[in-house]
Amino acid sequence: MRLTALLLGGAVVALAQSPEIEFFERRIRPVLVEQCEVCHSSRLAEPMGGLVVDSRDGLLSGGSTGPALVPGNADASLLLKALRYLDPVLKMPPTGKLPDRVIEDFQAWIASGASDPRGAPPEAVSEDASESGPGTPIEEGRSWWAFQPLSERLAPDVSDPGWTLRKVDAFVLAKLDEHGMQPSPAADPRTLIRRAYLDLTGLPPSFEETEAFADDPSMDAYGELIDGLLRSPRYGERWGRYWLDVARWAEDHPTSEATNRPFQHAWRYRDWVIEAINKDIPYDRFIRMQFAADLLPGFEPADMRALGYLGNAPVYHKDRRLSRDVIETIASDDWDERVDAVSRGLLGLTVACARCHDHKFDPITAKDYYALAGVFASTWQVNRPMVALDAERASWLTWKHEELYRTKGVFGNLKDLDTVAEELHAEILAMKPAYERLELELSAYEVPMTPAVVDCGVWVDGSTPTVTRMDLRPGQPRDLPVFVRGNVANPGEIVPRRFLSVFEPGEPTAFKQGSGRMELAEKIVGEAGPLAARVWVNRVWGWHFGKHLVRTPSDFGTQGQEPTHPALLEDLAARFVVNGRSLKWLHREIMLSAAYRQSSRDDPEADAADPTNRLLWRMNPRRLEVEAWRDSILSASGELNLAGGGPSSEVDSPDVTRRSVYSRISRGRLHPVLQLYDFPVATQHSPFRQVTTTPLQQLFVLNSGWMQARGRSLAEAVGSVSDRAVRIRAMYRRAYGREPSAVEVELGLGYLDERRAVIGREPWDEYAHTLLAANEISFLN
Amino acid sequence: MSLAAGRHSTRRQFVSSLCGGFGAVGLSAMLQEQLGAAVSGPVGPHFAPRAKHIIFLFMTGGPSHMDLFDPKPALRTHAGERPETVDLRTERMTGGLLPSPFEFHRRGQSGIEVSELLPDLGAVVDDLCVIRSMYTFNPTHTPARNLIHSGNIASTRPSLGAWVSYGLGTENRNLPGFVVLSPGARGGDLWRAGFLPAEHQGTHFNHAETDPDRMIRYLRNDTLGAEAQRRQLDLMQALNRDHQSRVGGDAYLDARIRAMETAYRMQFEALDVFDVRKEPASVREEYGETPFANGCLLSRRLVEQGVRYVHLYYGPGQPWDDHIDINKNLRERCPDMDRASAALIRDLKRRGLLDETLVIWGGEFGRTPVSEAGDGRDHNPYGFTMWMAGGGVKGGVAYGATDEFGFQAVENRVSIHDLHATILNQLGFDHERLTYRYAGRDFRLTDVHGTVLRELLA
Repeated sequence: MRLTALLLGGAVVALAQSPEIEFFERRIRPVLVEQCEVCHSSRLAEPMGGLVVDSRDGLLSGGSTGPALVPGNADASLLLKALRYLDPVLKMPPTGKLPDRVIEDFQAWIASGASDPRGAPPEAVSEDASESGPGTPIEEGRSWWAFQPLSERLAPDVSDPGWTLRKVDAFVLAKLDEHGMQPSPAADPRTLIRRAYLDLTGLPPSFEETEAFADDPSMDAYGELIDGLLRSPRYGERWGRYWLDVARWAEDHPTSEATNRPFQHAWRYRDWVIEAINKDIPYDRFIRMQFAADLLPGFEPADMRALGYLGNAPVYHKDRRLSRDVIETIASDDWDERVDAVSRGLLGLTVACARCHDHKFDPITAKDYYALAGVFASTWQVNRPMVALDAERASWLTWKHEELYRTKGVFGNLKDLDTVAEELHAEILAMKPAYERLELELSAYEVPMTPAVVDCGVWVDGSTPTVTRMDLRPGQPRDLPVFVRGNVANPGEIVPRRFLSVFEPGEPTAFKQGSGRMELAEKIVGEAGPLAARVWVNRVWGWHFGKHLVRTPSDFGTQGQEPTHPALLEDLAARFVVNGRSLKWLHREIMLSAAYRQSSRDDPEADAADPTNRLLWRMNPRRLEVEAWRDSILSASGELNLAGGGPSSEVDSPDVTRRSVYSRISRGRLHPVLQLYDFPVATQHSPFRQVTTTPLQQLFVLNSGWMQARGRSLAEAVGSVSDRAVRIRAMYRRAYGREPSAVEVELGLGYLDERRAVIGREPWDEYAHTLLAANEISFLN
Repeated sequence: MSLAAGRHSTRRQFVSSLCGGFGAVGLSAMLQEQLGAAVSGPVGPHFAPRAKHIIFLFMTGGPSHMDLFDPKPALRTHAGERPETVDLRTERMTGGLLPSPFEFHRRGQSGIEVSELLPDLGAVVDDLCVIRSMYTFNPTHTPARNLIHSGNIASTRPSLGAWVSYGLGTENRNLPGFVVLSPGARGGDLWRAGFLPAEHQGTHFNHAETDPDRMIRYLRNDTLGAEAQRRQLDLMQALNRDHQSRVGGDAYLDARIRAMETAYRMQFEALDVFDVRKEPASVREEYGETPFANGCLLSRRLVEQGVRYVHLYYGPGQPWDDHIDINKNLRERCPDMDRASAALIRDLKRRGLLDETLVIWGGEFGRTPVSEAGDGRDHNPYGFTMWMAGGGVKGGVAYGATDEFGFQAVENRVSIHDLHATILNQLGFDHERLTYRYAGRDFRLTDVHGTVLRELLA
């Protein structure tokens, strides 16, 4: 774990190497890379003073003042002289003397012979991306399992064919057979129906539904149950939210400066996702729409909302008073976020690792990275109309809104005139009336707008010394240079926008249409379609079972884990594609299986043999996500408001009883309740939700006004029947969908009696609050 | 009545039996012993630590080093000039060199020069390790703050406090390991856990309030007293035990039962620990009674109770961001900061806690020696001052130097990664080995940088 994967500057730290080389790698090379190569690299057209330090030869032959290095003789080496800052002229680096300890390292290194494993200058090999750098060569990398074509697999022979209900079961049982283990018995009908309801809709079944299923738990009844749940609008609210995790959706930016004001209509993308999931739009079309809905055949104006995947992505503040390089760095961070969200989210590939150098472990080059980043440098976030308009009017509205947003933002950023150069004052002062005019002008058009993107190359204009401008060129794409070591001040070769080379034998084809976002989507579901299908099927499996087949769901590369059931994943992904990439098909295939229907009950013997349940000898018990837990409580108290869609509301306002998926999601100020319950921070893609259990969560459970209000409502909902046991029973039916045991009734009566003795009345609201606060409602078994 | 009492007592016994005999007193006694194993354990130090706790006094906005810790007499002789060496781009437009009107005096045995604005810190300067050569590279507040907090300009990497919590866990399971004291909830993302498990994120308390009830969200139940809530909790835990006996053993269910107990006890422990009003009048007088002073005092109380890392923000907003009227502002703002910070050092020392507590002081950058708008100073990431005290670093040391005007760090330059590496070192961690696997590689607080400042270690 230690150094094997740690990257020092541009260097790979090989493990078994001589102490001299290790000294160079750890103490010398990073300094050369960090401090010197900005000006002295063979990648530069004109290295300063003719000196390059990125190869041993470069140091030995030196620059215009002679060799930089005399191995074995530190005092005769110009390099050391420059570092020491004693020479009146030769002082390096110019930004300031390095710490004495670093200089001592260099002295020791030169004195001991200047061991240096570096061969020829890197430019000699960087011409061909497929061979450059120390990353896995592309050809070799293609043989990795995740890049293979998909094919259906034969169901293996198993010890008990009678157990298998669907094809996936054969793969599961075969693994268990291999290890001499057995699956768990089927879950009882009441457990199973609760599992199915919460799993598909995020809401528990009613008592009556539960009892009806308990009376007829036949395979047919179960199949009908699943089909019914898949038709419920509640289903999209549950599974749409899962997608929103992948899409790191939120309604504002990580920070909220004037230039970075929150999205006005981010919720429209959330609503589109819910609708799309309910409609079971095939996964490939679902992806295409999110990159390029506006360019697809059959485009409907409301589809514009799908572009929120890119249109709601986080943007970092760019203070226009900063230098061009600083602004371009921030812009390149924005592009980096997109590369990361798309590559890890949809392909399970850590492409962002290749921002500073070729990927160390996977077949992804720095050129690949910048080829993808170029697509995002060729798009710009705007609001676009989601009603039918002629193209000219739509474009006019889009750019007027963009101009309004940007002018208002730049004015807010620069309005303190004392802080900007005088020659800009008139221009800045003119911005306020300009955007006010725009506001007035646009107020005449009541057209619903939605966050989206347009094709528009983004450059950073540093030509005015006192202010940096974003140079937007609608319709003109921008191919990015490789920023050497991720440094925008060190641009290398320009790379055409294109897809990852590992997916295309031969020379990858450059994108031609606009930014290339549609072609990118085509590649993701086309050439990379098998991988995209594996990644999606694995995510869906994980949401159903609580644990994934590939337990690093956003890393299918060599640093990720291999699947626990490789053949199962291959076969299921292949059949997912054959079945029209239908998510609802996938749910049925998984939920009708015997594996899914297992009990989650612990078994000490099996647990000892396989403590993390890699073999699926039982269903994984799990904690409900915060949304399903909160919605279950609202459902129990009888208050759940099923009105869907529209602007968001606060998750913990006592009077807010909508489903949790409609809560406001902030990147900069995520609501504390969501934060407490492991809601992912949407500043970047997160692979899955963590499960933490902390005292602060329980303070919310015990003390919040929201929880207490739910207790009061539950108590009111059961009315004031005089028979207390009947009331307790009614509460249990609502809260847990079941009858209480005699013991539980006794506990309740005892509590009420005891409290009456103290306060002179029976606090049914407290009692109801206690039921809602207990473990059972938060637990899915 | 007697009948009710009779039933009551039977039921109480009945409940007790369900709770394994702990019903009446709650589960606390039994649980206290189990708490250590409640969640996945911390990584643990790599070698013997010198410090067990960190208190970071964060001067939001970027305090002026030339007016506080880094005397630059050349500013007087070159007042108003703009030599080429100071023609550096910062956030805003700047003019000529602006001298500091404040006198510097040699203080303590070490004779380190400290501004007249800081008489009390001057008096404890022999305990301070003043680093005058800090530098970063970003002149905008948010990215610069991200750098100081997480070593990276983006708002995605884990905060220093989260790394410490991940590395060491907490000594007191009734309190979070990483506590954030900030008046107002501004900047919640600064104490993020990033990709580390969410339990390591900072827990925010608003120390502008002195009443713990108002400081901690959901701390108090406004309808139930302690007794009533204990009874409610006993019922809940009985139901939980019964539930668990039906569904089988489960780590999550165990953890939630324990967390519920801790939450219950935290209500009272926090009421005590977070209440600086329980300090003797003489101690409160020593610190002062401003929000920052309360924060300093509260930091000591938390550290005493085993909290690993306290990040204390000076004021809401960016108080040290003196773009205008800097001299007047510093005269008004420094007395409070000076008195409370120095009181914290003295107080920790008296209690024998300074040896094991590393105190760090600084903002996201310093300020420019050139003026902005005539009487202000702009952001300066090229060179600025931070100081450390206690926790195994040398006292009475002034390390590194900026150029003759105070613009750029030139001697013994210290990057934020060097500082982070040193902080982790004092806690017993090799910063290159404190890693977390995420998105395909091992991440460190110090990324690929950082050198421990060994010269500064006692």
